[in-house]
Amino acid sequence: MPLKPQLLAATILAVGGFYPDGGHEALAGSAAPRGARIERVMAAADLPDTDTLAGKIRATQSSAQIPLPDPGIDDTAHIVQFDPTAEAQTRSPTPPTAGAAEEPEVDESALRYFAARGDTARLKAEIARLRALYPNWQPPADPLAVPQHRDAKLEAMWRLYSEGKYAEVRRAIAERQASETTWQAPADLLERLSVAEARVRLVNASELKQYDTVVSVGAENPSLLNCADVDVLWRVAEAFVKTDRASRGQDAYRFILKNCTNPAERLATIQKAAALLPYESVQPLLAFEKTGTDGSREFDSVRDALSRSFVAEANRRPEISIDATYLERVKRLAANDTNGTDSLLLGWYYLRHNAMPEAEKWFRTSRDKSNTASASQGLALTLIARKAPAEAEEVMFRWKDDSEDASATYLAATANLLAGDPPPEVPGPVLQRIAAAVVEKRYVPTAQQMGWYARAFNQPQAAIRWFQTALQWKADDEPSAYGLAITQQQLNNHAAVEDIRRQWAGRSQRIANLGLLTSPPPATTRQTTPPTATAVEAPPAPAAATAPTVSAPVRVAAQRAPGPKVTEKATERATASKGNRTDCALGTASAANSQQALSLGWCLMNLNRPLEASEAFEKAAQSNVQSVREDAAYGQSLAYLRLGLTNKAAIAATQTPQTGKRAAELQTAILADRAVSAFNAKRYREALVYLDQRARLSPDTTDLAVLRGYAYMNLGMYNDAWKIFEFVAETGNSDASRGLAEIRDMQNGYR
Amino acid sequence: MRRTFSVVLAFVVLLAAGSSVVRAAEPLVPETLWAAYKAKFMDDSGRIIDNANGNISHSEGQGYGLLLAYLADNRQDFEQIWYFTRTELLVRDDGLAAWKWEPQASPHVTDVNNATDGDILIAYALALAGSRWSNAGYLRQAAMLARAILQHTVVTTKGRTLLLPAAEGFAVDDRADGPVINPSYWVFEALPIMGLLAPSPKWEALSGEGLGLLKRIQFGPKHLPAEWISLSTQPKPADGFEQEYGYNALRIPLYLMRGGVTDKDLLRRLREGWLQSDGVSGGIIDLPSGRTKAVLDDPGYQIINHIAACISDGKRITPDVRRFNPVLYFPSTLQLLGLAFVTEKHPECL
Repeated sequence: MPLKPQLLAATILAVGGFYPDGGHEALAGSAAPRGARIERVMAAADLPDTDTLAGKIRATQSSAQIPLPDPGIDDTAHIVQFDPTAEAQTRSPTPPTAGAAEEPEVDESALRYFAARGDTARLKAEIARLRALYPNWQPPADPLAVPQHRDAKLEAMWRLYSEGKYAEVRRAIAERQASETTWQAPADLLERLSVAEARVRLVNASELKQYDTVVSVGAENPSLLNCADVDVLWRVAEAFVKTDRASRGQDAYRFILKNCTNPAERLATIQKAAALLPYESVQPLLAFEKTGTDGSREFDSVRDALSRSFVAEANRRPEISIDATYLERVKRLAANDTNGTDSLLLGWYYLRHNAMPEAEKWFRTSRDKSNTASASQGLALTLIARKAPAEAEEVMFRWKDDSEDASATYLAATANLLAGDPPPEVPGPVLQRIAAAVVEKRYVPTAQQMGWYARAFNQPQAAIRWFQTALQWKADDEPSAYGLAITQQQLNNHAAVEDIRRQWAGRSQRIANLGLLTSPPPATTRQTTPPTATAVEAPPAPAAATAPTVSAPVRVAAQRAPGPKVTEKATERATASKGNRTDCALGTASAANSQQALSLGWCLMNLNRPLEASEAFEKAAQSNVQSVREDAAYGQSLAYLRLGLTNKAAIAATQTPQTGKRAAELQTAILADRAVSAFNAKRYREALVYLDQRARLSPDTTDLAVLRGYAYMNLGMYNDAWKIFEFVAETGNSDASRGLAEIRDMQNGYR
Repeated sequence: MRRTFSVVLAFVVLLAAGSSVVRAAEPLVPETLWAAYKAKFMDDSGRIIDNANGNISHSEGQGYGLLLAYLADNRQDFEQIWYFTRTELLVRDDGLAAWKWEPQASPHVTDVNNATDGDILIAYALALAGSRWSNAGYLRQAAMLARAILQHTVVTTKGRTLLLPAAEGFAVDDRADGPVINPSYWVFEALPIMGLLAPSPKWEALSGEGLGLLKRIQFGPKHLPAEWISLSTQPKPADGFEQEYGYNALRIPLYLMRGGVTDKDLLRRLREGWLQSDGVSGGIIDLPSGRTKAVLDDPGYQIINHIAACISDGKRITPDVRRFNPVLYFPSTLQLLGLAFVTEKHPECL
C-alpha cells in the first residue's frame, strides 16, 4: 500500500466534503438532498442520556429476579458517547497519548498469529501497521521464536477473525468478559472486527441499493477506504453517484487512479466510472492513464468500448460534445464491423447532431449489413427530414409493429408522404397498406391527410369518410372538420355543412365562414364519382374495396381550389389578423404589405368575391418574395377563372413561373373554361380542340365529357356522341341520359 | 480533543465491564431451555432460522432471538444474534431492518421492505439488554431504530394513530383500501419502551388505538379480528389477504397479556373464538364461516390458551404444555415467551 489507509480515507472524505474541518457537522451539512441520512446522524446526537434511559427502562421491568448492576458511569463520559465521531475514533487504532510517560505495551498477538499461520502478507501488513502506530516499536526478529505467554482464547479469537467468523468472535469476546470480568479485548482486535463488520454491512447495503447506508458506513469507517480493498471504494463511489453526488463519486474514482496500482483494478475503475459518470466527468479521470515503457497505454484494451460508450452517450445527450478521436475510433471500428452495430451508433450520433446526410449514410451502411428496426427507423427519420417520405414508408413498413417508436416513425412517414405538395402518386398497394395501418393504429394525422389526398384526387366521398374517421378518433381535430365541411359543401350537402358549422360554432372561424359563401364552388362539383375507379380507399374496410391501381393522378383543377395547405394557411392568417368577414372585405387599402394582401386575397376567395380577390392578389404580386409572388399569381389566376376571365387567367398564370403542379392545375382549368366558352359561342370544333388539349393533361370530368358529347352531336358526329353519353350515363348522369334520348329521338325522327 | 474523549470512553467501558453483576439463580428463560432453542434454531452467524418456512430468516425472528437471549441472560448469544441482525438486515437507508433473508438467494435479502413488528422487537430487546448490561451501544442503536419506526411507520390518519405493517405498501397512498394494519404487529409491552427511546405522545396513542381496535373489530361468527384490516372506511378485511385469524393473529392474546392488558372480555372473546373442541388447541380460523382450517396443537400454541385460562380461572398450566421440546421455530418461540411471562408474573400458574 502506497499510503496509510487512514490517510487515504481522509483524503477521499475531505475531497468529498465529509470532513473539511472535522466533526459530524460537515457530514450532516453536506447531506442536503437526502433527509434520511441527516436524520440518522442527528438521531445519535439527540439521544437521551443513556444512563437515565437505562434507569427508566429498568424501572419498567418490575422483575427483581435479575439484580441490575449499578451503572456507576461518569456523566461526562456520556456526552462523548453521543458524539457520532467518537465511535469512529474508538474504532481507529488509538495511538498512545503524546508525551505519555510509559512506553505502551504493544499487542503482538495478531503478529504472532499470522506468523504461526505462515500468512506473510498479513504479517507484513501487521508489522507496518504497528510501526506506524508505535514509532519506537521494533518488530521481533523472528515472531515464531519469541517466547510467547500464550493466550489460547485470544488466539482462538484471531483464528475466528481470520476465517471471517465475526459473529463468533463477538460471541467469544462477550463470553470471556462474562467469565473474566477484568478481561479487555485488545483494541486491535476490536478495531479490526469493527471494520470487518462495517465492510460486511457496506457490501450488503450496496447489493440492496441502500446507498445512503453505504455512504454513511464508509464515512464512519475511514479505514475501510483504501487501495487494499478497491471493491469498497467502488461501492462507495457508486453510492455517491446514485445519490446525486456525482462529483464525489468522481473524487473516489480519481482517488483510486491517483493512488492505487493494481492494473486490473485500475482498468475496472475507469470502466465503472465511464458506466456511471457523465462523459465530462470521465475525461479528467482518463488523464491518470499511465504510459508503459514500450509506449503502450494502460487503458488501450478498453478504449474501443469507451469510445463506443461515449458516442452512445452523445446520442442520448446531444448537448455534449465529445472528442473527435472517439468518433474517429468508432468509424474505424465500423469499417470492420460485420453486424452493423457501430455504423448504427454513428447513424444515431449524426442524426442527433443534425448531420442528416452523414446519418443517412451510416444508417444505410448498417442496414446493408443487418436490416434492423433501429437502422430502418434511423434511416426513415433521415428520409423524412429530407422530404423523401415515400422511401421512409417503404423502409419502415416491415418494422412498423416492432416497437412504439418504430410504429410512430412509420406513421409519421405516411402522414408526410400524403401531405406532399404536390400530392405524390402513391401506388395502389402502398396506399392500401397505409390505409390498413392507419386504421389499425387509429392514427389521426394520416387519416386526415388521407382526406386531403382523396380530395386532391377528386374523390370527395372517400375524403368525407376519412375526415369522418379522423374525427371519430379525435373529435376536436379541426382540420378534419374543415376538410369535411368544404367537401360536403362541394357536394352541395348543405345540411351536413350546417351541422358541422353548428358543432364548431365559436371554435373555428374558417368553418363559420364557410356558410357565408354565396355560391358553391364552380365547375364540376356535381360529379360524385370519378370517371375511373376509386383511387383513395376509404376506411373502415380499405382492403375490401379492391381499387385498381391508379397509374396517374386524376385531377381537376377547380375542384381543389385551393389545396388544403394553401387554404389552411391563408385562412388562418386571414382570420388571425382580421377575424371576420367585414374585416376581410375591407379591401386592398387595408393590406399594408404584400403578405397581408395575399392573405386578404385568399380570404376574399373563400367569400367568393373573386373580383376583389384579384385586386388583392394583384397587389401581392408586387412582392419581392418569390414564394409570395407565385402564390399571388396562382390566386389571381383562380380568381379570374372564377370570374370567367379565362384569358386573363392564362396571362396571370404565365406572369410568374408556377410549380409544375400548379401550372398543370391552372392549365387544365383554363382549357376547360375555354372549351365551355367556345361551346357557348357555338364554336364546337374549337371546343373540341380545347377539350383534347385538356385531356392530354387530365382525363375529362363527367361534365366536360357531357360537353364533348354535345359538341359531337352538334357537329353531327352521332356515333361519337352516343359512345360518350352511353359511357357517362352508366354513372347515373342525367345530362348524358338526356343526350342519349335526344340522339335516339333524332334518329327515330329520321326514320 | 476527540482523542481525550476516546480515552475517557475506554475508561467507561472498563468501568461498566468491571462493575459487579449479581447473577440471579435462574433467568426467566432457563439455560437448558434456551440451549435447546438455540441448538435447533440458531446458527453460528447469529441467524435465527425459521425451519417451517424453508429455513429463511426474518427481522421478526432476529427480534425474538434477541429478546429470548436477553430473557436467558445470555450476553454472548445476544451479541451473536445482534451481529447478524445489524450486518445483514439493518442496512436500509431509513434505518429500519430489511425483513426477509433467504439462505440460497443472492443477495440474501429478497425483500428489502421492513416488517414493523420485527423492528419493534429488535429495538425492544436492544433497549432491555442495553439497560441491563449497561451497553450504551445497544441503547443508542435501540433509540435510532425506535426513531426510524416512529418516523416511517407510525402514522396519524383521520385522528387515529396507527402502526403501518411496513414502510412501503400499506399506507393510504399505497393501496386503494389503505391504510391497512395488522393488529398482531402491536407488541404492546414494547410500546412504552419505544416511548422512552424516542419520546413522542404517539406511542401512547398507538397503544390506545391498538387496544381500541381489538375491542371493536369482530368479524364473522367467531367475533375475531382479521390479520390484515383495511381502515379506509369501516374496518374490514383487507383486499388480497386471507380472511382469517391465523399464525399472525394468534400472538395477539400473548402480546396483550405480556403487555399487562387485563381486559377480561377481550381476552375471553379471543380465546373462545380460537379454542378447539379438545379444550386446549388453537386453530386457523376462516372468519366468514367461523370454521377451523387447521388445528394447532403444538404446546407453543396451546400455552397461550393455558395462560389465559390460568389468569382468568386460576387453572395451572399442565406439565405437557410446560415441557419444552422444540420442533418448529414459531411455536417454540411463543412457548418460551409464554413460559417467561408466567415465571415472572404468574408463578402460581406453574
